[in-house]
Amino acid sequence: MEEKLEEAAAATNKTRNLKKIILIFCVFAFAKSYSQTGQDSTKVYKKRVLETTEVDFLTSYYSQDGDNAAVSGGIGTEELTDVTGTFVVSIPLNDDDVLTIDAGVSAYTSASSSNVNPFDGGGTADPFQASSGASSSDTWANVTGSYSHSSDDRNDIWSATVSVSTEYDYFSAGVGGSYTKLFNEKNTEVSVKANVFIDSWSLIYPTELRAPENGDDDDDDDFNINNYTITGNPNYNPQFVPIESSGRNTYALGFGFSQILHKNVQGSLALDLVKQQGLLSTPFQRVYFADVENSFIEDFQLADDIERLPDNRFKIAVGGRLNWFLNERFTVRTFYRYYTDDWGIDSHTASLEVPIKIADKFTLYPSYRFYTQTAADYFAPANKNLSTSEFYTSDHDLSQYSANQFGFGVSYTDIFAKAHIWKFGLKSIDVKFYQYDRDTSFSSNIITAGFKFVMD
Amino acid sequence: MIKKFICAALISTCFSSCVVVKEYEKVNINDPDMALSEKKCDKNLTTMHSYREAAVGANGGKTGGGCGCN
Repeated sequence: MEEKLEEAAAATNKTRNLKKIILIFCVFAFAKSYSQTGQDSTKVYKKRVLETTEVDFLTSYYSQDGDNAAVSGGIGTEELTDVTGTFVVSIPLNDDDVLTIDAGVSAYTSASSSNVNPFDGGGTADPFQASSGASSSDTWANVTGSYSHSSDDRNDIWSATVSVSTEYDYFSAGVGGSYTKLFNEKNTEVSVKANVFIDSWSLIYPTELRAPENGDDDDDDDFNINNYTITGNPNYNPQFVPIESSGRNTYALGFGFSQILHKNVQGSLALDLVKQQGLLSTPFQRVYFADVENSFIEDFQLADDIERLPDNRFKIAVGGRLNWFLNERFTVRTFYRYYTDDWGIDSHTASLEVPIKIADKFTLYPSYRFYTQTAADYFAPANKNLSTSEFYTSDHDLSQYSANQFGFGVSYTDIFAKAHIWKFGLKSIDVKFYQYDRDTSFSSNIITAGFKFVMD
Repeated sequence: MIKKFICAALISTCFSSCVVVKEYEKVNINDPDMALSEKKCDKNLTTMHSYREAAVGANGGKTGGGCGCN
């Protein structure tokens, strides 16, 4: 009987001990899980760099005209139209990383470049008339991919970029990277960026300078100078030397600094240093010399040579922006840039834009921009360059001039993106028009439009 | 010497005169029209300038490469 009582007491003790162990285990497990929950609840909330996928569709129609086409040696129509469409898609990969793909196509028709071969048989050859050759139109296509990473506190941003672009006679591949540091409670920002572009030309020369040994690669050209009557100097005999190297490399280094100066004012400074090497001239741009007698076919002056420019160029640009939020209706945006290079060009650019909020969803954008530059050391107008010079060009984009640009735009913004196309809400529409006039015969205008969509 | 002094004075003035604006005070600074860059829809305009003008850079646009521009 006593033995049975002892066994029962032992069993009871075991049960109690087991209960204690289970209880301790449960308490420990609960405490552990609670402590983990506590840790989770103290995690810092991190706002995503980009909340959702954004898609921008940008398009423009550009038109220009003037009387100083570089293709025809500084004399002739500069008429050109260009239509561009670009998609920019920004995809948040996670809280910190964003992938951006920028893909664009640009199609142009150019009376100027059509006169690479003005002897198309379609009419009298004339630098002020468009021709119908292969060079009268072209398509430029570009794809750029960018990847950016932001630190947890959003004070450090790294990005890398790869780009490829191509057109009939030009190919470019580029890589780049940047680093941005924010500090002073995100009131101050400094950045550095670097880009390298490796480009190459397909060498296309003015048709009268082409010969099989010069690398004639224009298939549609059956021009034979012996079939034409040469007027002026009938003994046309250009001393043309083909270009040996068709590569162009660009190395760009940029520094940025921005500062919030007041709760309504902020500004930035930028410095860009650009080194270019290789073929920096355009192979199909003619030059007419002052010391060589002029030769013509019909009304078109035959090239004495193509433009020749140094194979090195160093550019420095320093710019600044200052933006001021005047009040709920007006904002003032200003920009100034000084540019200089070792080809002798100095330039100043200044612009002013005053966005005016006329309603919750509508903003107007009147703007003005002034630009002026000195001429490159190698520039002279048509028939003014000397054949004894090492370098020469009659490209009026490298001449001395000033330009005024007036712009006006309107923007519609719906922060709730109510209007939809498939899964994308329309957030904003921007439409702008700019008129650009030099103090020469050149003028141009451009209509741009941008549509911003955000994914639901 | 004078240039160095002016630069130093400008930089020190910029830093010392700046009041730190707190996040909750940045409503106006964060307005899209206050961005220190061109609007996206002006991208093609900036590209046109880089084609037609000698000057490039310091504006967020192209600094070379990708086209037969100046």
